[in-house]
Amino acid sequence: MTSLRGPTSLRGPTSLRVALAGNPNVGKTSLFNELTGARHKVGNYAGVTVETRAGAVVARLAPSRPITVLDLPGTYSLTPIAEDEAVAFRCLAGAEAEPPDVVALVLDAANLARNLYLAVQLLELGRPLVVALNMMDVAAEAGTPVDPDALARALGVPVVPTVARTGEGIARLVEALGSIEHVPQAISPLRARLLADDDALPAPPGIGAARWRWLVSAAAAGTLDLAGPTAEERAALAAHPAAALTAAAHARVIARYREVDALLAEIGFTAAQRERAPAMSRSAAIDRVLTHRVWGLGIFVVVMATIFSSIFTWAEPLMGAIESLIAWLSDQVSAALGPGVFTDLLTQGVLAGAGNVLVFVPQIALLFLLLGLLEDSGYMARAAFLVDRLMARVGLHGRAFVPLLSGYACAIPAILGTRTITDPRDRLATILMIPFMSCSARLPIYVLFISALFPADDRVGPFTVGSLMLVGFYALSTASALAAGAIWKRTVLRGPTPPFVLELPPYRLPRLRNTLLHVYDRTADFVRQAGTVILAVTVVLWVLLSFPRPPDAPDSGRDVAAAVQVDPTAHAPKDMSPAAAKDGHSDMSQGSDENSPIVYSIGGRIGKALEPVLLPMGQDFRMGIAILGSFAAREVMISTLGLVYGIEADDENQTPLREALREAREPDGSRRHTPLKGLAAMIFFVYACQCMSTLAVVRRETRSWKWPLVMFATMSALAYVLAVLVYQVGRALGYT
Amino acid sequence: MAFNLAQLELGARARVTLVGGSGALALRLLEMGFTPGTVVVLVKRAPFGDPLELQVRGCHVSLRKAEASRIEAVLL
Repeated sequence: MTSLRGPTSLRGPTSLRVALAGNPNVGKTSLFNELTGARHKVGNYAGVTVETRAGAVVARLAPSRPITVLDLPGTYSLTPIAEDEAVAFRCLAGAEAEPPDVVALVLDAANLARNLYLAVQLLELGRPLVVALNMMDVAAEAGTPVDPDALARALGVPVVPTVARTGEGIARLVEALGSIEHVPQAISPLRARLLADDDALPAPPGIGAARWRWLVSAAAAGTLDLAGPTAEERAALAAHPAAALTAAAHARVIARYREVDALLAEIGFTAAQRERAPAMSRSAAIDRVLTHRVWGLGIFVVVMATIFSSIFTWAEPLMGAIESLIAWLSDQVSAALGPGVFTDLLTQGVLAGAGNVLVFVPQIALLFLLLGLLEDSGYMARAAFLVDRLMARVGLHGRAFVPLLSGYACAIPAILGTRTITDPRDRLATILMIPFMSCSARLPIYVLFISALFPADDRVGPFTVGSLMLVGFYALSTASALAAGAIWKRTVLRGPTPPFVLELPPYRLPRLRNTLLHVYDRTADFVRQAGTVILAVTVVLWVLLSFPRPPDAPDSGRDVAAAVQVDPTAHAPKDMSPAAAKDGHSDMSQGSDENSPIVYSIGGRIGKALEPVLLPMGQDFRMGIAILGSFAAREVMISTLGLVYGIEADDENQTPLREALREAREPDGSRRHTPLKGLAAMIFFVYACQCMSTLAVVRRETRSWKWPLVMFATMSALAYVLAVLVYQVGRALGYT
Repeated sequence: MAFNLAQLELGARARVTLVGGSGALALRLLEMGFTPGTVVVLVKRAPFGDPLELQVRGCHVSLRKAEASRIEAVLL
């Protein structure tokens, strides 16, 4: 008996550690939030992206002793086929830290026929277990009520009926958890059967029965590395042929389901009852529309368009407000401290950097709010079901569709959105594809060059050349993203196609509170983790583009503020103010550039040093500086180029810069910026990963600098080669 | 070649006899409830004909045809 108890019995009245386990979509998150009052810490296991949350049970529930709850990933099983299950098993088995004192298993009362499989696995593990029998109301409504006492007798563990939505039964669950050690858990006949070592492959001496079964399953699945075996364990497994391991793992699953069926029979379920899906009848009716081959696809398009416009346009007013707030703060700091390098560091480095981080928050929060609501309602599984056939052609999962689509608006929320893809290889391939999608920050650059260098009335049929070029860039970026995905999946990220075994859960009304908590976790994580990198790079760029200052221009750094700060409203160009346009005209006539402070800076000198490399793609040092500046964010390229030309310009106020580009002449009187050079520059920006925020987020999501560096290097090389190709081939064909 | 779940007609029921092959997919299919003796119903095909929506053990589970073809069954 004592072997089943946690080591807490030796530790006195310290905090009781409870692990919360359960299948996906059983209300585990709601239960966790009810238990902890939604105050929790988000944690990560080393080396994996699977998150766990931990929190203390709130005093309101009157726990007899302090209880901390660890929320495990929702899994159907503990067999380590993916990281989720591996994390859950490692935690429950105490592979990394002390194992939990009690496991609280959340079961869906309306779906015991599959849910009990996990219960059987947990009984094999032998840790003290308390069952929270959730969704009792749904089960009763569906005509398959469950008797908790009968289930408790059959399982040999306490069973507490709960309705996590309303908080019903939570206090009794806490009571059951707090007193678990005082109620000796008798070994039920079921548990005795499960613990009996009747395998075809008995555990070798020195390896526990549960651990051995787990290793055999992992070996059979080809995912032994996820199990973290010792050298001895590997050797013990290697003694058996692969076919024997597979047969033993399969026999074990079948034996567990036999126990599940015995359990169901014991609590009064007939064979016909466990086969039917009464809880799904309402969902099946909804699915007659939502996954219909015509209506379903139509609704899918509307849902996706809504998600897309939320990050493309709805977030814009909020982003504008953040920009205004940062500008106001900068003014306050400048007014309080007076001009000086320290003031500039604060306003143009630190505050601009904070703005560069915060500007993404509305997009991230909106995307995760919508994705969260759709996920919790059960729709996202249907969305993946609808488009999986299309995504499978690229070698990807249906779940990759939404992140890729979001990439047209902004890569940052899109990359964060890949967390719904469970297979690590698929997820990485999708992350590597997203920056190719033509994001909204590229649009102002296309618009600048097209309107500056291509006559507005040039037409091909009814379409202007400019609009055709725009469509072309979007098509090019989409094709390139798909090609990149196919290439990555066939080379470095090649592997067995992950099983597309996707549950279509019953539709449920999402709970806004749970979703908002998730949105907060995600956004806070971005600000903390990726934000620090973005802030640091902004300060570095400010230094590069501000120092040294030319001897005769003490206040020259002022303009750089506009340049280094990401413009949050890039996504929907507004009417430019007439006053600004007039200013621009007067500045433009001077056409100064060699003497601009920015050309004198380190960044300017880097741009000049890069000129020999840039010339083959038709660009000069001015574009070199602009490309360097655009690393803060692509649309910053415009204000940086404006500074080079001594013009106040940004993506909303492009006219003066357009005219400067149009009018600029080389010493021999020829146009400095020709259509061909502009086209080469645009091709460069289609491919170049000129976005520090993307790289910072990729680092955060892949937990290493390797992939952001690979991404930056491959995309920059591609951008350069294609821009050179366009320029050189164009020149050879006689274009200018 | 034995009858498999990818060959099911819409609304038809079949009893699983064997999950073929080895590796992660076979194990995952078994763990999702496609064990021998279990009754499965084809609920729907996705708009492009693939994947399939199957009812098994009171759940609706989506499998690609290539995966469903690994599960041998007898038509009921």
